[in-house]
Amino acid sequence: MVDDIFPTPPRSVDLRRLPEFAPSAALWPRIETAHRARVHARHWYSVGLVAAAAAVVAAIALSPGSGPPPHADMIARQRESQALEHQWHQLAQMPASGAAVTTRLRTIDVALQSAYDHGAAANELASLWQQRNEALRDLIEQWRETGSHNVRLLTRI
Amino acid sequence: MADGQTARVNSGFGQTLDAMTLERARRGDMSAFATIYELYGSACYNLALRVLGEPAAAEDIVQEVFLKMIGNLRSFRGDAPFGAWLKRLSANATIDVVRARTRFGVDDADTLLDSMPTLAMDAQTRTDAWSLLMDLPARARAVVIMHDVEGYTHKELADLFGQSESWSKSVLARALKRLSEVAQRGAAMEVSHRG
Repeated sequence: MVDDIFPTPPRSVDLRRLPEFAPSAALWPRIETAHRARVHARHWYSVGLVAAAAAVVAAIALSPGSGPPPHADMIARQRESQALEHQWHQLAQMPASGAAVTTRLRTIDVALQSAYDHGAAANELASLWQQRNEALRDLIEQWRETGSHNVRLLTRI
Repeated sequence: MADGQTARVNSGFGQTLDAMTLERARRGDMSAFATIYELYGSACYNLALRVLGEPAAAEDIVQEVFLKMIGNLRSFRGDAPFGAWLKRLSANATIDVVRARTRFGVDDADTLLDSMPTLAMDAQTRTDAWSLLMDLPARARAVVIMHDVEGYTHKELADLFGQSESWSKSVLARALKRLSEVAQRGAAMEVSHRG
């Protein structure tokens, strides 16, 4: 037995009668303060995490690779483009594709599709939509003024 | 689980915490934590002070233990007395400090006790238990206090220190022998001074 190897020596010192000391009166207030500081730090850490997460989400949303933001200006240009295109088709009475007069328009459409494909920035897309609208307006205006025979000149690149 | 609950049961960590205070504390009521501190703060402080020998270090232990208790109270399942749980937190925190301080020291019981400086006996200051205890190396003192005062078993001490039960028994036996010898020498010197 290990107890036989290490016999308990006679105790001439009574350890159960050791003096009892009281901690400083300032200790509990110190602990309370430290606890509040921890809670406060944890709160701000959480706020910081939320803010950081929001910043990451915003950065992803605004990054060029994530596509254009659906802001009102872009939507307005797209709607205007649809309206102009509809108006143009009614005037010219022909489909958008396959017509020689729509070369400029088709070129812009190709550029627009390419811009979407490579995740172009919003301002680049807005500029292309604007070009498309201007091209459609020019076509409509020219058709009304001179007839279809002059539109061909306008649609040349 | 090292809870050392064979020691005194109606004082210090042996006191009972009422269910209402415990429930309030679980809900984060700081006044309930203050009540817990009033009940057990002194026991925690004395355990740390007796082992570490430094009031400032003991207060740091109390602060660490109570902050941990406040933060982890929800993990207290109630299958052991609250005082025992708090005592375990206190003992672990204290022993962690002892271990950190002696990280590069020796673990061997013989060498540990041999490292104790030769006492320049002064009958007036060396015969009381506190002074004698403070002359022991920190690890040996920790074993003595945890076993003889706090009621930890050798198995529990072995777990706490990451040592064998033989190590705990050896350190305790040698430390008590050393204390006894020094106390007897002190008493003999006191008698000769009177003569």
